[in-house]
Amino acid sequence: MPDASILDIRDVTKRFGGVTAVNRCSLALTPGKIYGLIGPNGSGKTTLFNCVTGIEPRDEGEIRFKGERIDGLKPHQVARRGIGRTFQIIRVFPELTALENLLVVTREPFETARRKAQELLKFVTLERLQHEYAGNLSYGQQKLLEFIRVLMTDPELILLDEPAAGVNRTLLNELLAAIARLRDQGKTILIVEHDMKVVMGLCEAVFVLDYGEKIAEGPPGVIQTDERVIEAYFGR
Amino acid sequence: MTSVQITGTMLFQLVVSGLLAGGLYALVALGLSLIFGVMRVINIAHGTLLMLGAYTTYWLFALAGMNPFVSLVVSIPILFVVGAILQKLFVHRVVNAPELSSLLLTFGISIFIANVAMLAWSADYRSVEFLTGSFLLGPIALSKPRLVSFCVALALTGLAFVFLHRTKTGKAIRATSQHRDVAQVCGINVRRIDLITFGLGAALAGAGGSLVSVMFAVYPEMGQVYVFKSFLVIVLGGAGNYPGAFFGGLLLGLVEGLASLFLTAQLSEVIAYILLVIVLLVRPTGLLGGRA
Repeated sequence: MPDASILDIRDVTKRFGGVTAVNRCSLALTPGKIYGLIGPNGSGKTTLFNCVTGIEPRDEGEIRFKGERIDGLKPHQVARRGIGRTFQIIRVFPELTALENLLVVTREPFETARRKAQELLKFVTLERLQHEYAGNLSYGQQKLLEFIRVLMTDPELILLDEPAAGVNRTLLNELLAAIARLRDQGKTILIVEHDMKVVMGLCEAVFVLDYGEKIAEGPPGVIQTDERVIEAYFGR
Repeated sequence: MTSVQITGTMLFQLVVSGLLAGGLYALVALGLSLIFGVMRVINIAHGTLLMLGAYTTYWLFALAGMNPFVSLVVSIPILFVVGAILQKLFVHRVVNAPELSSLLLTFGISIFIANVAMLAWSADYRSVEFLTGSFLLGPIALSKPRLVSFCVALALTGLAFVFLHRTKTGKAIRATSQHRDVAQVCGINVRRIDLITFGLGAALAGAGGSLVSVMFAVYPEMGQVYVFKSFLVIVLGGAGNYPGAFFGGLLLGLVEGLASLFLTAQLSEVIAYILLVIVLLVRPTGLLGGRA
């Protein structure tokens, strides 16, 4: 049932010189669900994100979004089709204000965009800091800002690269609740995450990468006991 | 060295003249800094773009009698288009390449343009004799062309800042220079931003050329000294730091002005480079901090 997938990655390979970062990797996401992407460091998770978003074009394979090929598109074209992402290391625009960080990414008319931006800022209780330069915000606040920047363009598919890293418990719970709400609104979410509690609590299905290859996929409970997964993490 | 006594008036006069020159440096350097900030391209051809702006003003003045300051409305759009064409044809190929590629490419472009200019217009020195004389403010003499040029340079620099801070495209340019990858993933077409940025950078250089033409000689290689000074300015202010380019420009003008008090004109140029070495040793990110 390939047509039911919102994102369909087929046999994607990405090499850097002699290193194969992603090796004939295939995964398919059904709309309206939260998926986890896990694997040891260097297993190709972020590279796969980069292939999907067009930052690092894939060498082989096909990537389809809503049935249409997106491999070969430029990053901004992929974004405009409806895929948003955050980065492992926070990347807000430090010398734009919080509000400007949101406004700069939309193509809507100014007033509509501003109203939406202010709603989102309120959603994560950053509205008091809207005119502050993003570089002056705390780590957690920047993380929230980066997260709502993704929501500005109302993407159907959201890729989150380690949203829980370096976030305190309170903030994390808010973030996880927000992610669950997005799913309830019908968005599809793919999360790279090392925090197993987050993955187990939130994701309906998990893909496991090791040395760029998908070694397992399935519900979190099953994945946890999969021998190949345990081997990949802890060694034989 | 002469043993003329240094008076307060002299000092003030030099400070004022230095700042007047500095305003122009700031304008030209802002263009270079914009291009570097967004694309990490070091544009050696910046000076030849300035020269094209100066010739635009010269010819409009010589052939049509156009006021050199009014000629900015011609030189700015022409240089924007020239910049955009250079970007589209050549510069986009070196945007993600190592710095050496952009240095070689823009060096080549600059040699080419300067030589075409020499063939077309000869190497003769030409001048736009428009405003002469000085305003006298008590004991201080303000050269009219320099004062008007300074004011126009300041106004244009101000306009460029308003554009960068108030308009959507301006904010997208700043976003791209802060995080190119993220800007792309957020849906900003960075190729289009590159095109506008190079056009804008060239337009600022061209405007600088128009303003230089009322003060100094116009000739095909006139731009070289401004490339070096602009480098100096953005190193002073911090590479890719736009307000830094402004303050760096004024500072360079000031230092040159004051140095001329103690040294001959040739030697006072050396002071600028000594300043460069000191900044690079003590604070390599520039006085206001850069993003290099």
